[in-house]
Parts: sequence; C-alpha cells; structure tokens
Amino acid sequence: MDRADVGALVQSAVDGDAAAWKALVEGLSPLVWSVVRSHRLSEADAHEVYQTAWFRFAQHLGRIREPEKAGAWLASTARHECLKVLKSLRRLTPTDDPQLLDRISEDRTPEQSFLDLEEAAAQSERIRHLWQEFEELGERCRQLLRVLMATPPPSYQEVSAALGIAVGSIGPLRQRCLRRLRARLEARGAV
Amino acid sequence: MSDMDDDMSDIGGEDAFEGEFQGDDLELDLLEEELRRATAILDPVPPELRQIAVEAFALHDLDAQIAELTFDSVVDAIPVRGAVDVPRMLTFHAGGVTVDVELSARGLMGQVLPPQTAGVEVLSGPVSGSPLETDSMGRFTYGEPPAGPFALRLRTGEGVLVTDWLTA
Repeated sequence: MDRADVGALVQSAVDGDAAAWKALVEGLSPLVWSVVRSHRLSEADAHEVYQTAWFRFAQHLGRIREPEKAGAWLASTARHECLKVLKSLRRLTPTDDPQLLDRISEDRTPEQSFLDLEEAAAQSERIRHLWQEFEELGERCRQLLRVLMATPPPSYQEVSAALGIAVGSIGPLRQRCLRRLRARLEARGAV
Repeated sequence: MSDMDDDMSDIGGEDAFEGEFQGDDLELDLLEEELRRATAILDPVPPELRQIAVEAFALHDLDAQIAELTFDSVVDAIPVRGAVDVPRMLTFHAGGVTVDVELSARGLMGQVLPPQTAGVEVLSGPVSGSPLETDSMGRFTYGEPPAGPFALRLRTGEGVLVTDWLTA
C-alpha cells in the first residue's frame, strides 16, 4: 500500500471515517496475516494474534506518531505477539519438540483449499509444486518469502518491522531465497 | 536462532554471481509474483478475520487513557523449571493508577492500586464485556479465562482506562 495513502487514511480514520478504516483493513490485512503465517503458529493462535494486532491498532490509532508507517507498526505489533505466543508455548509444553510449534490447520489445509479450485486445473500442478517447494525451504527463507508474498507487496520497511531484520539485508536475502526456490523447482523439473 | 544462521550459510557463495545477468532479476521478479498469486489462492486472509478487523474500528476511543503493559511474566520473568500451569502475571500503568492482573485457567484476578472502588469490564472484542466492580480494596475476580484477545476497561478516580490488548 502506498505510504502517502496510508497516512491519509489513518488521519481520516482518526477523525471517525469508517470507510477509511475499512480501506486500511483491506490494504494491510494481507500484511498482518503474512507476518502471522510466517511465524508458524497454530491455527487458533494465528487467528488470535491477527485480532490482537488489529485491536491494538484501533486502540492506538490517534496516538501513532508516524501514520504513514502504520503498516510497519502493525507488522511489528504482530511480530511481537507471535514471539510472545511462541515463548509461552515453549514454557508450557513439557518438551522442546519443534513439531508442536508446527501444527497445521485442522479444518482447511492449503491442499484442500486448492482442491476447491478445480477450474484452475491447468495451473494447479504448477502452483502446487511451487507451494510445496516454498514450504520446504529453510526456515529463514520461508519466513522472509511468506512476508513478501502479501498482496499488495509490503515495503522493505514493513518487512523489516515484520521480521526484525535490517532493511538493507532484505534485498540480498530475497534474491538468495528466490534463487534457492527456483533451483528446487528446476531440480524437480517443474519449470 | 542458530538454526536460521545455519540455514543461510550454505548459500553465501552465490554472491559472486549477483548482478551478472539482468535477465536474472526479471526472472526472480516473475517467480515472486507467481508465488504471491499462489499465496493469495492457498493461504488468503480468512474472511471472518477480515470482518473482525473492520468491526474493530469501534474500539477506537480517544477519550480513554491507555494503560500500558509494563510487566508480562511471559517475557519478563525467569521460568521455574518443572512448574506447570503457572499463572501469567501482568501489570499495566496509566497516570497514577496501576493494575495487576493474574491470568490462569480459572480466570482473571486483579488488583487496582491505589486501592479504590472501580468499574471493570473484560473486553474480548468490539462488543462490550461483562461489567464487574472491584471491592473497596481494589480487588476483582472474573471466573472465566479469556478465550481470545482481551483487554480491561476500568472506570477509576482518574477517568476511563483501557489496558493494552493481549493475546491470552
């Protein structure tokens, strides 16, 4: 989302414009969801953290110092809540088994969502392979790409806030991770 | 996060090739775009969550003071080895008022300081929560653990306070 637009929409929302708020939700929800997804929480925790981030944003709306950076504010808030949830899970669970942090949605897995889209059969094979290879990337690449995959694409400042990494390292990391993904696709002959 | 460092170490050698082909950048852009489309199909924002965020506009309240979270045992306390089902301790501050909250499987127990009679509401979203009142010592109990994000709205001698939202 364009930062000038975000700043103006935040200002209008502060003044009570519900349509401006809705536009912020439309524009920044995929970013918040991407941040949550990149941290591999359970489905229930992912839903909670997404809500906490938006409730906090609504609460702090008129007090945010740099309204044009609302996306980074939301991304950073979502990240901190994700880390807290992961930390409390580690403490409450008797083992450090990483599988516990890696639970997959019980109701609708990506595979099932995918099967709903039979009409997209021509593209389906390619998309499925792409998603599989993406899921199997190393943790850091998977995390970075999942945040970058938000629609509209996030700014590097937002990615930095989402993952706690320097803006300057995002470009090179992105290239490496995409190359790595491409190499995996090539290896399975799916290009 | 040592596993993350390991993850990147074996592909550092690719640096030498960076910038060699301009076409490579374009190809990576296309791959990114394709992955973005796949994500929009396979892992979109759940519509019900989007709707909750739209409705959260009702939480926008410039008149209430925000009581900031200044202590959270999840982050600030040293865990006790072997201890299970330890209550989570939270402290919020706004102006001269402190609110201590203990969150456990049994619900919430709170203390408003300085001790005073105050109205308390446990919020779980944009709809208003159940009203409670502290005793004259500033204590309150809520016998239900929050099922999702929660905040407290308090009517105190210093006006209306709302705590930072937390993920239960």
